[in-house]
Parts: sequence; C-alpha cells; structure tokens
Amino acid sequence: MSRTLSSIGYLKPYRVPLAWGVLMLLLTNACYLGVPEMMGRAVDSLGKTSTHHVLVLVGWMAGFAVATAITRIASRIWIFNAARAAEYDLRSHLFGHMMTMSPAYYGKHPVGDVMSRLTNDVQTVRALWGFGTVSLANAILAFISVLGIMIWHAPMVTVLAILPFPLIYVVGQAMSKRIYGTMRRVQGELGTLSSRIQEDLGAIQVIKTYGLEDVRRAGFITGSDRLLHANMDAAKVRIQLGPSLNALAALAFALLILFGGRAVIHGEMTKGELIAFSGYVARLVWPTLTLGFLLALVQRGRASWTRLVQLFETQPDIAEGTGPALPASAQPARVEVKHLTYRIGDHPILDDITLTLEPGTITAVVGRTGSGKSTLVDALCRLIDIPAGSIFVDGVDITTMPLASLRAQIGYAPQEAFLFSTTIADNIAMGYGGGTAIPTARQRELESVLGSSAASDLREEPKVTAASVSAGLARDLGVMPDGLGTIVGERGITLSGGQRQRVALARALAAAPRLLVLDDSLSSVDAETERLILRNLRAVMHGRTAVLISHRVAAIKDADQIIVLDHGAVVARGTHAALLAEGGVYQALYASQLDSEVTATRNPGGVH
Amino acid sequence: MATVGTPPGGPGQPGAPNAPAQQRAVPTEEAMLGKAMDLALLRRLWPFVRPHAKLLLAWACFMPLTILLDLGQPLLFWYALTHHMLATPTHIEMLPYDALAYMLLVVGQGASSFCETWFVQLTGQRTMHSLRTTIFDHVLAQRAAFFDTIPVGRLMTRMTNDIESLNEIFAQGAITLVADLLKAFAIVCVLLAIDVRLTGITFLTLPLLVILVEYARRLMRESFRQIRVRLAAMNAFAQEHLSGIKVVQLLGRAATAQREYNNINAGHRDAYLPQIRADASMYALVEAIGTISIAVAIAYAAGFRTSTVAMLGVVVVFIEYIKKFFAPLPDLSAKYAVMQGAMAASERIFQLLDTKEWDGKEAAVDPAVTRQGSDATLGGASAIAVELAGVTFSYGAEPVLRGIDLRVPRGQTVAIVGATGSGKSTVIKLLTRLYERDSGSVRLGGVEIRDLPLATLRERITVVSQDVILFAGTLAENIALGKQYTEAQLDSAVRRVGLDRALARRGTGSTALTVEVTERGSNFSAGERQLVAFARALLRDPEVLILDEATAHVDPEAEALIERGVAELMKGRTTLVIAHRLSTIRNADLIVVMDKGRVVEQGTHDQLVTHGGFYAALERTFRRQDAEPAAATAEPERAPGPPTA
Repeated sequence: MSRTLSSIGYLKPYRVPLAWGVLMLLLTNACYLGVPEMMGRAVDSLGKTSTHHVLVLVGWMAGFAVATAITRIASRIWIFNAARAAEYDLRSHLFGHMMTMSPAYYGKHPVGDVMSRLTNDVQTVRALWGFGTVSLANAILAFISVLGIMIWHAPMVTVLAILPFPLIYVVGQAMSKRIYGTMRRVQGELGTLSSRIQEDLGAIQVIKTYGLEDVRRAGFITGSDRLLHANMDAAKVRIQLGPSLNALAALAFALLILFGGRAVIHGEMTKGELIAFSGYVARLVWPTLTLGFLLALVQRGRASWTRLVQLFETQPDIAEGTGPALPASAQPARVEVKHLTYRIGDHPILDDITLTLEPGTITAVVGRTGSGKSTLVDALCRLIDIPAGSIFVDGVDITTMPLASLRAQIGYAPQEAFLFSTTIADNIAMGYGGGTAIPTARQRELESVLGSSAASDLREEPKVTAASVSAGLARDLGVMPDGLGTIVGERGITLSGGQRQRVALARALAAAPRLLVLDDSLSSVDAETERLILRNLRAVMHGRTAVLISHRVAAIKDADQIIVLDHGAVVARGTHAALLAEGGVYQALYASQLDSEVTATRNPGGVH
Repeated sequence: MATVGTPPGGPGQPGAPNAPAQQRAVPTEEAMLGKAMDLALLRRLWPFVRPHAKLLLAWACFMPLTILLDLGQPLLFWYALTHHMLATPTHIEMLPYDALAYMLLVVGQGASSFCETWFVQLTGQRTMHSLRTTIFDHVLAQRAAFFDTIPVGRLMTRMTNDIESLNEIFAQGAITLVADLLKAFAIVCVLLAIDVRLTGITFLTLPLLVILVEYARRLMRESFRQIRVRLAAMNAFAQEHLSGIKVVQLLGRAATAQREYNNINAGHRDAYLPQIRADASMYALVEAIGTISIAVAIAYAAGFRTSTVAMLGVVVVFIEYIKKFFAPLPDLSAKYAVMQGAMAASERIFQLLDTKEWDGKEAAVDPAVTRQGSDATLGGASAIAVELAGVTFSYGAEPVLRGIDLRVPRGQTVAIVGATGSGKSTVIKLLTRLYERDSGSVRLGGVEIRDLPLATLRERITVVSQDVILFAGTLAENIALGKQYTEAQLDSAVRRVGLDRALARRGTGSTALTVEVTERGSNFSAGERQLVAFARALLRDPEVLILDEATAHVDPEAEALIERGVAELMKGRTTLVIAHRLSTIRNADLIVVMDKGRVVEQGTHDQLVTHGGFYAALERTFRRQDAEPAAATAEPERAPGPPTA
C-alpha cells in the first residue's frame, strides 16, 4: 500500500486544482504588491502633479486590490476544495478498510477509538493539506515578493524594520504549542466530566434511594470547577496571542518610524515610500505567524497520520478464500465439522468437535453459558479464524471459498439482535441485500445529496412481508402506526428485546438461506409467541438445514439431533428422548431450567 | 466475543409508552436552527450572569480603554508625520520619542485588551459553571420515571457540549460584538471630527460592505446547519456500522455500506463548499473594499488646495483608521454562526430546565421544599413496619400492580415470590417513592410515606438491588457512600459480609478498603458487587431492609460467601426480600406469592405447601430430582419480557 508512506499520496489526484491554487497565490502576491506601491506613489504625487495623475494611480490601486481579492478567493477555493476532496477519499478508504476487520478486532479495539481516528485524525490531516498548503505557499511567496520590493526601495530600512520578525515566528510557534496543550487539557476535563455525568445518570436510582445527591453533586462541582480552570488557562494563552503579536508588529512599525522617518528627513526615502513600507511590514506579519503555526500543525498532522497508518497496516485477520464461489443452489446445505479445535491463548474454546448436519435436518446445540455454542456458530460463518480443513459446506472447505459466498449460504439470527436505525422493512430486506441503513429521517435531511434513490418503499415487498409473518411480527406491526415502515431506534420507536430479536429473525429468513442459524435468537420472546414462531418455522425450515441454539427445551425437543457442549467439547449427542434417558449434563440442564420456569408454566401467556 | 452492540436507541425502555406522534417529522437536534439573537433567551440567561456582574463591570471598564489606546495610535503617527517628519524645520531628534510613545500605546492597549478579554472569559466560565450545576441539580431532582423517557446521552450533551457552545456568547459572540460596534462608532466619530466630507466620501463603500456581509451571513446560515446535520449523519452511520460489524459482515453488506457511506461522506464534503466560498470571499473582499475606501480618500484629497503637509496627515490618518474599521469585519459571519449555535444550545438547555417532573411530589414543587419537609411524625413505634393497602400502579396504560395488600411486621422477614413481570420489583420502587403509586396507601411505621420527607424515607429504608452500581473510587468510598464512618466501622462491615475473603482471592492483602474500583465497577465480579452492597446496607443499619436477591449465576465459592453475607445482614432486621433462593424463602416468617400484579397467596412455607397452589408447584420443582414428571405435566416456558427492570 504505497499510500501509507505519506499522506501526500492522497493529494495526487487533485494536483491540477492544487497547481491552479498555487498559481493564483502567486498572482495574489504579485497583485498585492501593487497596492502599497501605488498608494505610496499616489501620496507622493499629492499636491505635486495634476489631480489626474493621482486619480490614475488611485485607480491602479483599486484595480490591484480587486485583482488581489479575486485571485485570493480563487486560490483558497481551489486549494481548500482539493483538501476536502482528498479528505473524502481518505475517509472512504479508511471506512472501507475498517469494514473488512473481523468482530474479534473490535473486541480488542474500542469502536470509540476507531471513530476518533475516522473523525478527528482525518480532520487534522485535512487541515494540514488545506491550511498547510495555503500557509506555506503564501508565506514563501510573500517573503520573496515583499522583501524583494522593500530591498529594492531601501535596503537599510528594510533590514532594520524586519528585525522583530524572527520573534514573531518564535512566538507563533510557542503559542501554537501552548494553545494546543491547553486545548487538550480542556478536552480531557470535559471527557472526565462527561464520564462522571454518565456514571451518575446510570446510577440515578441508587443515588435517589441512598440519598447520594449531595455527595455526587460535590464531585460534579469539583469536576465542573476543574473544567472552568482548564478553560481559563486555555483562554489565558489564547488571549496573550493577539497583544503579543501586536506588540511585535508595533515594534517593527516603531523601527520604521524611527529609521524610515530619518530616511525621509534625509531625503533617502519619499514619504510615499514610508507609507508603502508600513503596508509592506503589515503584509509580512500574518505569513510569519502562520509559519510559526505551521510547524506545530505539521507535527500534529504527522501524529494523526501515524495513527491512521496503524489502521491501514492492520490486515484483516480472516483471510479471504481464494477458491471458487459455491455454485448457486436451492437445495439445503450439507455441513461437516471435522476435528475443529479453536483456542484463545492456551485455552481451548472449541475442543476437537466433529459433527455432520445432514441436508434438511435440524440440529440443536445446547450447553451452559461459555460452553462454546456461539463460538461454534461464529466458526461456521468464519467470523473467527479457523484452521483449514475443519468445516466443509457441500464438501468444500469453507476457508477456500470467498467470504461473501459462504455467508450468502447462511441466514443468521443472533441473540443480541443488532438493528440499524432505519425502518423495520429496511432491516428485514438487508437479509437479501436490499434496504438501506440510512434512516429515513436523515434521508429527508440528506435528500438534496442523495437524490430520490434511497427512498425505496419496501413495505409491500413480498419477501419482507412473508419473513415478518414467519417471524411472528404481524401482531406487533399491526399496532405500530407505520407498520413495516416504522423507524427503529434513534428518534424512532424503541422495540422491546423480543421484538428486536424477531426482526433479526425475519432478516435471516428473508435471505431464504440454505443454512439457517438461530443463536438463542428467541430468548427474549415471550413463551406464547415463541410457540407460534416455532410452529411457523417448522414450515419455513422445511427444505433447509438449520442449527438451533437455545436454552429452552421446548425449542429443541423436536430437533433431529441434539448436541450437548461442555467446555468446548461435545459431551453427548442424540435425540431428546435418548439424551434424557442417558442422564448426565443434558438432563441436569433440563432439570435446572424447569426450576426457573415453573411459575410461568402456571401462567401461560403471562402479562403482556 | 460479543461485539454486537445495541443500536443507538438502546435497550427497550421498561414499559415506557412510545408516543406514536413522536417519531414523525421531529427535526434532529442538529437541524435545529436558532436565531442569532434571541432576547427572550438572553433574558433567561441573565440570572446566571448577574452573580458575576462585577466581572462584567470590570470588562466594561477596560473595553473603552482598549479602544482609546488603539485609536490613539494613528493620531500619534499623524502627529509625528505632520509635526516632526514633514514640518519645517524637521525635528529628527523627536523621532525616538515618537517611536517610544507609539510602543507605549501598543503595550498599554495589549495589557488593557488582555484584562478586558480575561474578565469577559471569566464571567462566561463562571456563568457556565453556575448553569451547569443548576442543570445537574435540576436533573437529579427529577423523578425516576423522567429517566425512562430521556436518553442519558441527551442529558449529557446538555451539561457538556451545549454549555460549551453557549459559552461562545462570551468567548467570541455577542459580547465581543458590542466592543467591535463601539470601536467602529468611535472611529467614525474621530473621522468626522477630522473631516466631515472626507468621512462621507470614504464610507461611500459602506453599502457594498452591507451587501457582502448579508450575502455571507445567508450562505453561512444554511451551510452551518447543513454541516452539522451531515457530520452527525456521517458519524452516526460509521458508529453504527463499526458497532454492528458482525451483522454487516454476515449480511455481506460491506460493499453496500461503503456505497452508502460514500454518499453521506460526499454530502458532508459538499456541505463545506459554500462555507469555503463564503470564508474566502469575506476575507478577500473586505480587504479589497477597505483598500478602495483608502483609494477614494486619496482621490478626494487630490482635489484639496490646502497645505500639502496638513492634507497628507489627514490622508494617512484616514488610511490607518479605515484599516482598523475593517479589521473585525471578516470574522463577522463566523461570529454569526457561533451565536446561532449558542442560541440553539441555550434553547435546548432551557427546555430541559422547563421540564419539571419533581421527585417526591406529584405536583410541581421545588425540590428543596420536599427535601427539608417536616420531621414531625416519624412513627417508629408501630408494630407493623411496612404496610401497603390497595396499592395500584401502571406504566402508561399498562397496569402493573392491581391492588396490593402487604404487611411486614417489625423484626420479621417477608419474602415475595413470583414470576418475572408479576410486579415484585415495582413494589420496591413504590416503597422508596422512585415511582408514585396511582392509588392506595403505603405506610412506614404507621405513617403515610408521602408525609415523610423524602430524605428521611430513604434513610430509613435501604434497598439492596440485583444490579449493584459501583462508582469509580476506592472500595471504602463505595461502601461509605458519602456518609462518615470510622475505618474500624468500615473494616468491620467488610469482614462481617465476607468481602475481605472474597477480595483476598485477588491478593489485595490486609486492607481491602483501599482497593480501587474502576469506572462502573468493571473490575468487580457479580458476586463481589453483591457483597459490597451488603456492606453498604450493614453500615447504614436501616430500619427496614429491602433485598432484591440476585439471580445471576456465580461460582460456588462466591455463592457460599453471598449466602453467609445475606444471613449476617438480615439478622434481627425487618426485611422485605424478593427471593430467588429456596433457603431464603423457607426461612422467611411470611411468604407472599405475586402474580400479574396481585397477591395470590400468602402464608408460611408449611401453610402454602399444604394449600397446594402456586407456591406448592414452585417448591416442588425446587426440590425435584426427577425431571420426567415435569415434562409430562407442563411444557416449560419462560415468562414474558419484563415490563419492569
């Protein structure tokens, strides 16, 4: 990945607009010289030559001013737009890369950290591209042009007047560092205070019942006070900048009055030149300052870039299969697991598992929490890195097939149903690759950009409606004002745990997969609804191979085979009747489960 | 391995009814567009500023001084030019003094401006501190149901980000605008004093300027909103897809997600384009207009037929003042956008402060009143410690308790059993007035709990809940919870509940009290948390203990510790326990069986077993060794999703 060497690679596609931008900057600086020059000459001509001559000079002055403005606007638009465009590329590239990382990666790297890089670090790099380019080019051009013309007019006065400028550079650099440091402290205090508020709001019932209001308040005030002081420290540094800079610039002006004034009196310089010089000196203040800022900006940009490179250099831990994709088929899949072992460190999570899922059969997997059930399913979908030759679908090793091809065979409904904050219909349609994850409320706000393409209506789509019925959602959708068009989550309706699970189930069913995997996906659904769903599912599962993970005996009793896992190993297998007769772990599991459920038994349907 | 997060909406709110109207056409927070100057909002802000009015006064003193010293500089230059450099004879020897005087003015101006800004910033920061504390107090004084309807994130934003944007009024908004306006006014006055006609000619360019500022303002106004909306959309999208990476990959959605992200990303990029245009134009054109004003002034002076020197001086002074007049203008549109953000933030903040669902009273009453209350009738003598009579409660339209009668005699243990969703936990919440019952009465020691000050009520009843919340800090702080105890007391409590033994397993040495608890107590296991809660309750030594037994599975060793800890805690204490353990239930003086918000059975263990109802069935399964008959008689099911936490 050649782009990881330097962030400049991202600017390459935009070298033409950038070149135009720099050219415009060159013109800006050239035109800009004309303003003080003409002003000086006009002032010199006052009362000496004809009014007409003055007017011509003044006209030139205005003309140069307008030309400066136009070229400056053009240069900024060209360069800043290019930086935004490059930022777009960088961000999209990074997002795409992050989409290839496995869930295991995000188990180790908090999403918040990745998000921070995707937002803050990308912004810092963009600031370097835009502001950095403009400042550097501008400073160089300004120094060459302004110093050139000043020396041409009066070399000695020039040298004396620009004596304070190195100081301006130093001040700019030091201030920029201090401003950045204090700003980081403000951010840190703000973060601490936020976590504190979050902690308090999450513990509101304890705070109330234990009467902790005053204690927590005291802690909050301390945090708020620390933020106040951090903010004041930052302000102190920030508000020093203006006056210090003014003072240094004024020093340059004072030197100009002193030596320039003397030169005027001695006739070495005209009074117009003196006025022009005051313009020139003013012109150098800003570039010198930004040059000081630039160094800190480059350092920050480089640090951000390093963090981004770290992400780019992390290769997906699950290798894409290089073999051919599975041929399309409507037949149920045949799955074989052969001596599958998976460890984390030295600890075996799956221990030498061998089993076969015959086409069209239902296999139930049971076991205690932590026995490896979910890991087995993850292995089947290659969400974890498994050794080659341990799982086969239709006789093909799954590590050789493209990930997309493997996952297209599988419809998966997890226990923790993850729904996107869009409509229920969109969420279901995602099962077969339809739908959009951009919520409708956002779509309306974004439609000027997205056009009308995103506003597809999936509420009437037969695949979606059929799946929602099979998943037992019909009654719930009936009472929602927008039915399938109801928006889930953020700014939409908050679904109950059971409803979310059923939407995820509908999503899995909508895919009409050859292999259906239900990972305890009805655990939050009430008993009556579950019975209904299972009855439906038996019809839906006809003609599919299915894996069922559940804690509920009712859900797995009728499975063709039941696999009992304990500590990652298969400890028993067979039908419900056979396993009960056998005793052991399965029976114990069965018995313990009855304990907690018997009160509900007396009360079928429960409160709803 | 569970990397599948919950969607931003968070887990289902317990029974909180979703108003269907709420989901439609509510603009996102980012889309709210405030006025740049809303006097009604500023008036509401004033009470928070008033305590710091002295600081504002100090600012008001330095502000004109800064302007004075700033505007003195061109006059000095004028004087040096006309009286020393160009005068006949010239006064070359005076030039160093001119330079020195100039430097003094500049340094004076710098010092004064530093003080001016310092005071205004301090006013802002102190005001924000007061406001933040007010919001915090306000939020904490709301009743528990309030927190069911508002996401935590939103409340956090009010106290952090919104406050920070509101502070911009002081940092770079309205207040600095006042200074800029005053300065502009002063410049015009000085120029008029020097030459009325030249001033008039010079400011011929003003209409141009007004047009430009208005154009940039419009561009900025829309652009500002667009940027906020699109940035929020982009980040929400990325956050959601990174959190749900497992589902994204299983659904093979990476390519689709990339396409959709690119769309939003492009929208985000394009939203900045008008701003780039406005920004670039503003700076460059204001500068150009300033230069044209100078050009006009020189052209006008060319028509003068007076002394060259005098005229030259006037021209130079005009040039300098015009530069100063134009200097703050390029920032004007940025300040406008900032003010807009600040006003929108203050609107959201005051909206929150207008929500008054006070804890402890159904009517809107100041929380301070409730807290103080009258300590009059404590009624500690009654033989019945807790009594509920005909208590009903519903979440929205959903009835949870349908008339509960319950008595806990002093010194006894009453166990409540029942399926999830039968209303057990709700009883606890009503007892401590986290939620207010709809009807019926609840008495503590014979006194209606609504007649007790809230603080007293919660002092006398201690709840040990299933989910034990720990705060970042030391273990000692977590046990004391804001009360003053001696180290010996703390240590004794830790030992009595067996927390020292539990923590000894991780090798903490002799003093368990100094163990650091990380944020949300993530370094404490479920069993250890339970023991911490027991120690808390033991120290508080409440009149009535309410125990919501944990169902969480812990390892056998911890289980044994917990059992011993519970026994220690309940010894000789009036206890109401929501029981999940057979041993706890059996040892209770009275067992109350709840179902669908009603008490269906009560009595002692033996009575209830003989009665042969709900409890008898429950008890049988607890003891059952043989699973077969159960499978024959009942199809096991789980109770419906809990309407209460």
